[in-house]
Amino acid sequence: MALDVQRIRSDFPILSQQVHGKPLVFLDSAASSQKPQQVLQAMDTTYRTCYANVHRGVYYLSEEATCQYEAARDKVASLINSPSRQEVVFTHNATESINLVAYSWGRANVGRGDRILITEMEHHSNIVPWQLLAQEKEAELLYLPITDDGLLRLDRLADLLDERVKLVSFTMMSNVLGTINPVREIVDRAHAVGAVVLVDGAQAVPHLPVDVQELGCDFLAFSGHKMCGPTGIGVLYGKQDLLESMPPFLGGGDMIYRVEQQRSTWNDLPYKFEAGTPAIVEGIGLGAAVDYLQGLGMEDVAAHERETVTYAMQRLMALPGLTVAGPPAESRGGVIAFTFRDIHPHDLAHLLDMEGIAVRGGHHCAQPLHKRLGLVATTRASFYLYNTPEEADRLAEGLEKASLVLRRSQ
Amino acid sequence: MSDIYRTHILDHYANPRNAGRLENPDIAADADDPSCGDQVRIEVALDDAGRAAQVAFEGEGCLVSMASASLLTEHIKGKSLAELEALTEDDVLGLIETPIPTNRRRCALLPLLVLRAGLEDYHRKAGSREG
Repeated sequence: MALDVQRIRSDFPILSQQVHGKPLVFLDSAASSQKPQQVLQAMDTTYRTCYANVHRGVYYLSEEATCQYEAARDKVASLINSPSRQEVVFTHNATESINLVAYSWGRANVGRGDRILITEMEHHSNIVPWQLLAQEKEAELLYLPITDDGLLRLDRLADLLDERVKLVSFTMMSNVLGTINPVREIVDRAHAVGAVVLVDGAQAVPHLPVDVQELGCDFLAFSGHKMCGPTGIGVLYGKQDLLESMPPFLGGGDMIYRVEQQRSTWNDLPYKFEAGTPAIVEGIGLGAAVDYLQGLGMEDVAAHERETVTYAMQRLMALPGLTVAGPPAESRGGVIAFTFRDIHPHDLAHLLDMEGIAVRGGHHCAQPLHKRLGLVATTRASFYLYNTPEEADRLAEGLEKASLVLRRSQ
Repeated sequence: MSDIYRTHILDHYANPRNAGRLENPDIAADADDPSCGDQVRIEVALDDAGRAAQVAFEGEGCLVSMASASLLTEHIKGKSLAELEALTEDDVLGLIETPIPTNRRRCALLPLLVLRAGLEDYHRKAGSREG
């Protein structure tokens, strides 16, 4: 069923404001999404009525906060179809989730001469943790190349995948190109050589139906703040046998079973990886965000975005001098990164802001990808469940106006 | 709200002053900002009194970095080495007149970083000549 976008927009208080005297057009959800009042209220209610530290208190408030926090874990498990709640580890964001795997699993399982395979379209958060691991272990970091129009070169997978590859880590959906990758195929081929697979779901989970059992991946990392939830809460899904075999990441309270002067034993999953007081209210907020998304249905969210992006691509590509990076609309999610004449993305983003339009200009934490594309920076408009075709029109009009302001004499 | 697109900044972007290269610069440096790809090169030729007689810049980047480079080259012409060294970030932001949003201060200050790198390099070479 098609989304009722006007009703959805009324759930997001921030969207009804004017910026620089113009109605706000928010097109930067790939960086961080806005929050519906259902999420804001859930967090506010927790602070006002049942806030206390979780897991240890035996009094009413702690019990209530614990129940809500753990209910959020169940909601996340259901969203990604995790076989069990023990496989859903709360972190602070996708970056921390990936680092957890790099530090804990990586340092125990990757050695000298081993290989880690990532792709040319990764976000820095799925590059740098592996660089650090490879440098420390004298392992090799390999990149699966992309085509000029932003698709993974699966034909190169056979050359790159062999038993030396211990880990394959790649994004389900590119935050620059918008490309949606064939996860299952890559997972199967990686597993065939014995490699473990991490999927960066930071862009995919907020926008697409994601089922870890269908994907078959060993790890899935994502952030709450890109999916209508608050900042400071993220998720690492991991297969139980892997999580059990891994040493802890951070040490501290909550992650232990027994502590003696010289050694300790670890708590059960998922708590073994959740040291210290967690982001309690943020976790509860993420639970409310999952309720919100599941109430709409991820299939319908994805369909709405596909429709909006298809329209936006048509509008933008009709502008002379505008070039979109990445594949055609049918193989992408709600992200459109582009260059427009010789106007620097920072200027475009700034001029669009004066029209009330929020887009991002820069490398979007993907410098190696931009280098591969022969670009230094792009302007990115990213669409979400609350965006409309009319906002794509505003974007196209704003770009035309910007090009008039920045006409150079040369 | 920042109105940098309606001021003399726009003129400096569209019609950059002192654009190009010098034949025999005494001071020359370039730098880029990987976060946005802005690139600036600044060259200075000193006269016998050690003043900036000729100044040129070359670069690619956003309006703020290019206009800032153009303004800076105008500003430093005729100034002594000591005056160049005394230039502060506030001096450069002052040339722009319009308030620069926090997220774009790096663009505005890139030309100053380049000039400082050039001065450092000049002194290092002068030091090794003397030593």
